[in-house]
Amino acid sequence: MTGKEKIELLRELCLVCGPTGSEEKVADVIREKLGILGYEYTTDRLGNVIVHISREDAPRFMVSAHMDEVGFIVNEITEDGYLRFAALGGIDPRVLSGKHVILEGNDGTPVQGIIGSKAIHHQTPEERKTAKKIKDMYIDIGVKKREEAESFVSLGTSGTFDSEFVLFGDGFIKSKAIDDRLGCAIMLDVLGRIKDKELPLDLYFCFTVREEIGLSGARTAAQALSPEYSVVLESTAVADLPDVPENSRVSELGKGGAISLRDRSTIYDRGFVRFALSIAEKDNIPVQIKRYVSGGNDAGHIHKSNAGVRALAISAPSRYIHSPACVINEADYFSMGDLLYAIITEFDAEEIKNA
Amino acid sequence: MVINMELKELIISLSSLMSVTGYESHDSDRLESLIGEYFDENHTDKLGNRIFVKKCGKEGAPRILVDTHMDEIGMFVTEIKDGGFLTVTNVGGVDTGILQASDVVIYGEKPIFGVVGSTPPHLQKPDDAGKLREIGELLIDTGYKKEELEKLVRVGTPVGFAPKYSTLAGGQIAGKGFDNKSCVACVVEGIKRAGNRLAGDVYLMLSSREETGRAGGGALTGAYNIDPDYALVADVNLGRTPDTKKNETVEVGGGVSLTLCPVTDKKLTKMTVELVKSKGIKYQLDVTGGGTGTNTPDINLTRAGIPCVDVGLPLKCMHTCAEVIDLADSDALASLVCEFVCSEEIAEVFAR
Repeated sequence: MTGKEKIELLRELCLVCGPTGSEEKVADVIREKLGILGYEYTTDRLGNVIVHISREDAPRFMVSAHMDEVGFIVNEITEDGYLRFAALGGIDPRVLSGKHVILEGNDGTPVQGIIGSKAIHHQTPEERKTAKKIKDMYIDIGVKKREEAESFVSLGTSGTFDSEFVLFGDGFIKSKAIDDRLGCAIMLDVLGRIKDKELPLDLYFCFTVREEIGLSGARTAAQALSPEYSVVLESTAVADLPDVPENSRVSELGKGGAISLRDRSTIYDRGFVRFALSIAEKDNIPVQIKRYVSGGNDAGHIHKSNAGVRALAISAPSRYIHSPACVINEADYFSMGDLLYAIITEFDAEEIKNA
Repeated sequence: MVINMELKELIISLSSLMSVTGYESHDSDRLESLIGEYFDENHTDKLGNRIFVKKCGKEGAPRILVDTHMDEIGMFVTEIKDGGFLTVTNVGGVDTGILQASDVVIYGEKPIFGVVGSTPPHLQKPDDAGKLREIGELLIDTGYKKEELEKLVRVGTPVGFAPKYSTLAGGQIAGKGFDNKSCVACVVEGIKRAGNRLAGDVYLMLSSREETGRAGGGALTGAYNIDPDYALVADVNLGRTPDTKKNETVEVGGGVSLTLCPVTDKKLTKMTVELVKSKGIKYQLDVTGGGTGTNTPDINLTRAGIPCVDVGLPLKCMHTCAEVIDLADSDALASLVCEFVCSEEIAEVFAR
């Protein structure tokens, strides 16, 4: 794929709505792309989409990225037709007020709404300094009565941000759901590049569900597939902002995928990390080490599954994740694909074990 | 309801224009191309009011002022920081609670897209949760290197919300800048509908500098120049939401609002209410104790005093990127303006 095609693929994936627990539409797009690439796939009982590129007597190797994104779920429809909601995944309430949202309507068609906010004219001085709690917020879908609202949505209807995909500045991309459609896009990119190649691995590519709440899809996928090695493609927080000292910057945009040593859910395999770093150096692919112990990802369950799995996470440094406006640099997207490709094609189990 | 698609389009086109207070003329040409054809002449005065005139063709006809402000809240750049970030301050009453993760446009040497930064939950410190940052603490991310950015932007460069519009499930529309360019669209539509039935010469004033209150003076000086016999002021009005009080808000979808207060002319308001009633236009009354929060008090006290009626388009979530209006109300406002400028009865009573 050309750079432009990769961007278009990411755009298409990011604009699909797939809040945690409702990843079907994302899975549909991914299955369509897999079909075009000529891959067969299975969908397991939780909804994970899995491609198996089999090779006997080779190490079992799992690559994964999650399809879900943070969002919300309707938990009350008020008499005057407003929707109260809970967050799906970790969302800072401060990014919610005044945002446009899309819900999956009763008949499957998208329902547009906004997260309402009392006008500044009516706010007390105290209210102007305090972030609203999610339980006090509401989605306005422009109706006046509960019955009218119920003709569009129901309790349990979920939704996500309605945010434009924008290329801006010097190679930057802003969108919702970059966490983790970016990982999905990289997997599709690499699947295209390794098609019909002889590989040293028994490979599984898993597009997982429900990462944002409990890393659930990856857990059952890993339990079922029992890989020996796992690479998780993710997005990670950055803090590469002015006035933040270098040692507090989790990672920085434009300096390559961030390789984690540790986060809140996983201690990564030392040998695998060293192997990835040496491959990157050899092939001249930019990478960086994630500096700060924060967040977690599907590796949290994968590395502890069955008798244990050697885990590696490569994350795109992403500003403002879990908001309607996540920002990445396209160079990181491209180089992460190069790194995954190199790891797969140049895989050497001995080197990892001896590192 | 039959949705007036043309009016909807005009509302969205006008609301997308850049008109941050003090920069009302930024999209001047586009404004003219959108509404110029419905008027005989137009000009911009010293403080930036844009006046569109439509003559009735009668000798000695009264001068009817239709005022609706054109400016919009926004921000301007206060510092260009390392890594291509900008700090800003507010122009008008910007709600900092809605800024984080919003899309903005920086109107520098060329329009530049930017995002207001936020801190992901993963990196938050416990003592920060629940607090709203002040506007000066927020960073706008431009994706440029500082050196490149300095060529495009300087301190003082205006920043506006990026235009985005949604049609909500129930048909109401949401987006930025409806305060107050949705009213601009409605009054233009009303004057257009009036055709050649005008009861006087209509001076449509798209006034400047409303959002900065006393530091403004747009409508005050504009009305002085026009010296009208009477005036109609149209502005958005605070719409009811679950977190507001009924007696401080109007109902979105409840019709055009008419304000009763000491500032609005009793007789002119009464005649307008009767006119609206007789024409079957959906309306609601909004009673306030003091002023109106619109240009009415300024215009009312211009020269020897100008009788004003104050009408409102109900709008939810004012001063956000997701202001919500109901097209039935927009249509009602357009009808009201049409009947008002055509009313010979009102002209007879209020012509000097």
